[in-house]
Amino acid sequence: MIGLLSTGLTARHRQDETAASAALDALPAAPAMALQVGRPEHLGSGRNLSSWTIVRAETVAHTEPAATSPIVATLATATADQTPNALTVLGTRTDAGGQLWVRVGLPVLPNGTVGWVRRRSLGAYQTVSTHLVVDRQRLLATLYRNGAPIFRAPVGVGTDSWPTPAGQFTIRSQLTRYTSPFYGPVAFGTSARSAVLTDWPGGGFVGIHGTNEPQLIPGRISHGCVRMRNSDILQLAALMPVGTPLTIR
Amino acid sequence: MTVDGSNGFDDFLESVDRDGAIAETGALAEASLSRRRLLGLALAGAGTALISGAGEAEAASGLPASDVSILNYALVLEYLQASFYTEAERSGALTGKTAEAARVVGSVERAHVRAFRKLLGSKAVKRPLFNFQGTTEQQRPFLKTAVAFEDLAVAAYKGQAPKLKSKAVLAAAVGIHSVEARHAAWMRELFGITPAVHAFDQPASRQHVNRIVASTHFIVQRPETKARGKPKYTG
Repeated sequence: MIGLLSTGLTARHRQDETAASAALDALPAAPAMALQVGRPEHLGSGRNLSSWTIVRAETVAHTEPAATSPIVATLATATADQTPNALTVLGTRTDAGGQLWVRVGLPVLPNGTVGWVRRRSLGAYQTVSTHLVVDRQRLLATLYRNGAPIFRAPVGVGTDSWPTPAGQFTIRSQLTRYTSPFYGPVAFGTSARSAVLTDWPGGGFVGIHGTNEPQLIPGRISHGCVRMRNSDILQLAALMPVGTPLTIR
Repeated sequence: MTVDGSNGFDDFLESVDRDGAIAETGALAEASLSRRRLLGLALAGAGTALISGAGEAEAASGLPASDVSILNYALVLEYLQASFYTEAERSGALTGKTAEAARVVGSVERAHVRAFRKLLGSKAVKRPLFNFQGTTEQQRPFLKTAVAFEDLAVAAYKGQAPKLKSKAVLAAAVGIHSVEARHAAWMRELFGITPAVHAFDQPASRQHVNRIVASTHFIVQRPETKARGKPKYTG
């Protein structure tokens, strides 16, 4: 009985389809479309992507995603370079009260400190696919994009007395068109801080910059900054956006 | 938002404000930017096509300048949606059917963006920067915002379609409009409100859509991370 009914429905369905098809054929052709929408593509793994944001209202970072947890740092909206205070985003969590918190890398000592900041104090998320690695042993900087190396250059790093700190940091700013041969034509600000030169103007932040003494590179020659030949720092400036995570090892 | 969802996007902001999701955050950094300024940020790249007559003779692909203007307006809305779903998917905060819907709809909105950009070529406006203020990172705020965005897109397409001069563009716009309507129904269903309520959907004017978008404060100024000051680094 079910089989008979099914057969009947199928035949009826075919008749309907034929009639509908004939009706459609009788319609005038639709105009050609100006827009060709391609096949939807799903996101990749995001394995080589990093998110960063800025502090948009002065706030504090907590050790846990809870207002009652200890405060680990106060975050201003601007850096000493007068650029927005950029932070690498490490994760998010919603507390019991429904407040959203964001885990970020903090530009404070000791280097490597992370904390939780209220989402509402932060700006838009931006994404980068780049990652700069500075190898202090090999005196080499390598910029990766989507996991592949796209730039390599020899570097100068800190001496034993003023070492370049190791850890995970963020490229926070890019300075250009200043007049200082010592720093070369371009300087990147980072969230890394010298553990020795804590009273340095601006807070003792480590920069990545050019130099007026290219003959010293590669070498252990700086007060903690990462120095490059001017041609290299200019090339890096064209490839590396602010927000890029920085690994110093 | 009412359970039957009959209010649509018009009441979206009010409902969000009641919950405090945007009022808390929107009043912070962008408070200094006027609504007109914010809107200007979003549409700045399209300014010449949208406001003045400059460059109209160079419309993309031989399209009428007014159509290029409408296409750029649609592109801004597509950027908004594509960025929203992409950020939501990357946040990893969504679960179950909502996560799957975000994944599928996001891939479609990104396809729309690619298509508009290809058609407009050098006339395409640049992607604005969006601060979704946490709505991509929590399931309920995500769905509430998705419903608003999809309803808004449907109404916006409907508002502009009759103004298109090129039938080829109109045919494409209608094709996208119905897709946006399916998205709207899908998100409404997931949010727990009636997917289709009215026998007739009202179009929305460009001014109305602009007001809604500006009011969310989702479009923000791109931070200026380059400066000219002398470095103070350790050297």
